[in-house]
Amino acid sequence: MNRVKVLQAWLCCLSLWPCWLSHGVPLDCKDEVGSLSHCASISQEKLLDRVIQHAELIYRVSEESCTLFEEMFVPYPLHALRNQGGNMCHTKPFPIPGSKSEIQQISDKWLLHSVLMLVQSWMEPLIYLQTTLNRYDDAPDALLNKTKWVSDKLLSLEQGVVVLIRKMLDEGILTSPSIFEHTLNPYNEQSPEVLESVLRDYNLLICFKKDAHKMETFLKLLKCRQSNKLSCLSY
Amino acid sequence: PQIMIFLFPPLRETAEAMAYSLSLSLLYLGLLCGNGPVYARGSELFTPDPSRGPHFTGCRSREQETFRCWWSTGTFQNLTEPGALRVFYQTKNANEWQECPDYTRTVKNECYFNKTFTHIWTSYCIHLRSVPQNITYDEACFTVENIVHPDPPIGLNWTLLNVSRSGLHFDALLRWAPPPSADVQMGWMSLVYQVQYRIRNASHWEMLDLESGTQQSIYGLHTDKEYEVRVRCKMSAFDNFGEFSDSIIVHVAQIPSKDSTFPTTLVLIFGVIGVAILLVLLIFSQQQRLMVIFLPPIPAPKIKGIDPELLKNGKLDQLNSLLSSQDMYKPDFYHEDPWVEFIQLDLDDPAEKNESSDTQHLLGLSRSGSSHILNFKSDDDSGRASCYDPELPNPEDLASLLPGHSGRGENHPLVSRSSSSIPDLGVQQTSEVEETPIQTQPAVPSWVNMDFYAQVSDFTPAGGVVLSPGQLNSSPEKKKEEENEKKIQFQLLSDGAYTSENTARQLDVPPSPGPEQGYQAFPTQAVEGNLWNGEYLVSASDSQTPYLLPEAPPAPILPPVSDYTVVQEVDAQHSLLLNPPSSQAAISPHTPNKHLPAMPTMPMGYLTPDLLGNLNP
Repeated sequence: MNRVKVLQAWLCCLSLWPCWLSHGVPLDCKDEVGSLSHCASISQEKLLDRVIQHAELIYRVSEESCTLFEEMFVPYPLHALRNQGGNMCHTKPFPIPGSKSEIQQISDKWLLHSVLMLVQSWMEPLIYLQTTLNRYDDAPDALLNKTKWVSDKLLSLEQGVVVLIRKMLDEGILTSPSIFEHTLNPYNEQSPEVLESVLRDYNLLICFKKDAHKMETFLKLLKCRQSNKLSCLSY
Repeated sequence: PQIMIFLFPPLRETAEAMAYSLSLSLLYLGLLCGNGPVYARGSELFTPDPSRGPHFTGCRSREQETFRCWWSTGTFQNLTEPGALRVFYQTKNANEWQECPDYTRTVKNECYFNKTFTHIWTSYCIHLRSVPQNITYDEACFTVENIVHPDPPIGLNWTLLNVSRSGLHFDALLRWAPPPSADVQMGWMSLVYQVQYRIRNASHWEMLDLESGTQQSIYGLHTDKEYEVRVRCKMSAFDNFGEFSDSIIVHVAQIPSKDSTFPTTLVLIFGVIGVAILLVLLIFSQQQRLMVIFLPPIPAPKIKGIDPELLKNGKLDQLNSLLSSQDMYKPDFYHEDPWVEFIQLDLDDPAEKNESSDTQHLLGLSRSGSSHILNFKSDDDSGRASCYDPELPNPEDLASLLPGHSGRGENHPLVSRSSSSIPDLGVQQTSEVEETPIQTQPAVPSWVNMDFYAQVSDFTPAGGVVLSPGQLNSSPEKKKEEENEKKIQFQLLSDGAYTSENTARQLDVPPSPGPEQGYQAFPTQAVEGNLWNGEYLVSASDSQTPYLLPEAPPAPILPPVSDYTVVQEVDAQHSLLLNPPSSQAAISPHTPNKHLPAMPTMPMGYLTPDLLGNLNP
């Protein structure tokens, strides 16, 4: 009987081995309360590089999605709206400076928190965007795939930033789902082909692209500061 | 500037002149540079339109930290003085209009926003206003990152990567540095670069893919050609390219290399040699077969039994001896003679045949002559092809042949001479007789008693043929004895008609009753009983007349010669019965040959192979 039980325990351990492995993956490690020992295997520098890569990719894909949507649904005279950088992007809890000099004066902590805030603010709108784009009659598959991909990558980016915060700032942060109020109503009754809804979605995409650029810029500044403190400081 | 030069020529002092010239040149340059953006670089956002009123012509940022905007007065000339038109801007964050922070002094109609006034990720709106009239002539809204046109990269240079084996192509590695104004290190601007190259003075530029690094390789360039290379950059995720950098020349001199040609020729030579060796081996291994295929053997003329060497040597005597012994003179060849087969057999009246068979005639066993003669006449063409005239035998003619009978009018070829020769049995007839090749028949009864075939015994020098006397005796016993003899003799001969000279000489000439008796027929047993009139050969000596004397030699005088026998029957043992006794002939068809078909007594003609087949059950 003992032998049988030992054998069963051994088998259970073997079957659960893949689960343990997944926990051991550094960058995708899930944040658990009180478990600071996770994700200790990867270095901070490498983690930052990976996070920056994520941000760059998200930024590029957001730009491509915007272009696809613009070509497909937005009338040509309104393409100039793009240059205006989005009129109705949802407001943030705290303002983010736009000039280089001001940005250079931001501390690392505020940089990381800003990035995290930005990432978290876009989680829900992207889900909303996916549902609305699916309602379009002839939305190209590339656009749908890109938005889905972006929302997935955003999740992993959030995880990475959280780990970075923990590592660099020694702070533990709870990932709360939605602390922002969104002006967007996902269950809009209006048909998606009406110009108003088209422009609204277009605006959403433009705003997301801008915020993705912000994320990338902050993270790169952070990296510059990590490697070479002198040249990246404000002058 | 040229006017100013004219205005100040009289200044003589060098220092002052130099200062003035410097300031003038600076002004000149400033004007050129200032005018540049307005006229040379049109912003992609705004298209300048001189037909309009005052309007913005463009806004540009070089490094995403500052930007400038230009405007034009257009057709309104009364607003050219500075200060008439003013620029107000408003950012999204602040809802108040502010005037342009810096109107560039050196450049006309330019508004410059420095670092403190440049905010990215915010949209700007600018207005071109005339304050006294409070008219807004133009407005534009944008974000700064959308108007960024980076400066061109610097430090473009190239290195040779490799040269192809043939020496015709090479690869080059290009390197450059990002523009110093762009803060790439901080990540403020992430740039992508585009390299373009062309053959010098060509019209079309080759474009390579966007490169995010600061180096790129170009593959497949031709040696001995000069290439012009340049590079430009833009912000990633944006569309505005900056200016091109200065072009550099890439050139590699061609080195004629013998090494490249050497291996190929060597390979060719070796290949050819290898193929040749293979072919030779193939030929040698398959020599026999190839010989047969390409040079089929010519069939040499060959005669059986004759050595070709003998023919070559050309000795006539030997050749003659050889030819004489050839197969074609053998009896079996004779059997394949075609004319043999065309001989018709009279098989329709066996009873009559029985009565009037050749043998009977020859033997003289029965009947009177006339009826036989008539039967003779009724006998159609069987075998009397060329040599026999069917009008023979005219009974009257034949009657005329009888001794004593003379002077028949008919000049039958067969009997004509004989008539003349009848009275003379001597040698005197030779002259007359010679003219006629055909032998005459002796007296009818003797004729009917005669055989149809005669053995050639000798040749006369005149060309006639001497027949040996045949047996006309009807006694079967005698015949049989003689038959055996003659059979042997007969076999010596080769089928009667074709008797060579030699064999003719070798013939055993049986004693003849006399020269008068020229004609000998081999009576009794004609093997293939047929009235063969081919040639009636005269036997005996040369002195004998070639013609047959009409007088029938008495049968017992003549030695029995029977070389030909009519096949009467085939008995049970498949043996040919030659001339069985008449009594037997009556019985034999019935008793022993039960299995055999009732065979008609043949032989008016040959035993054809068909009939032989019939004989065999």
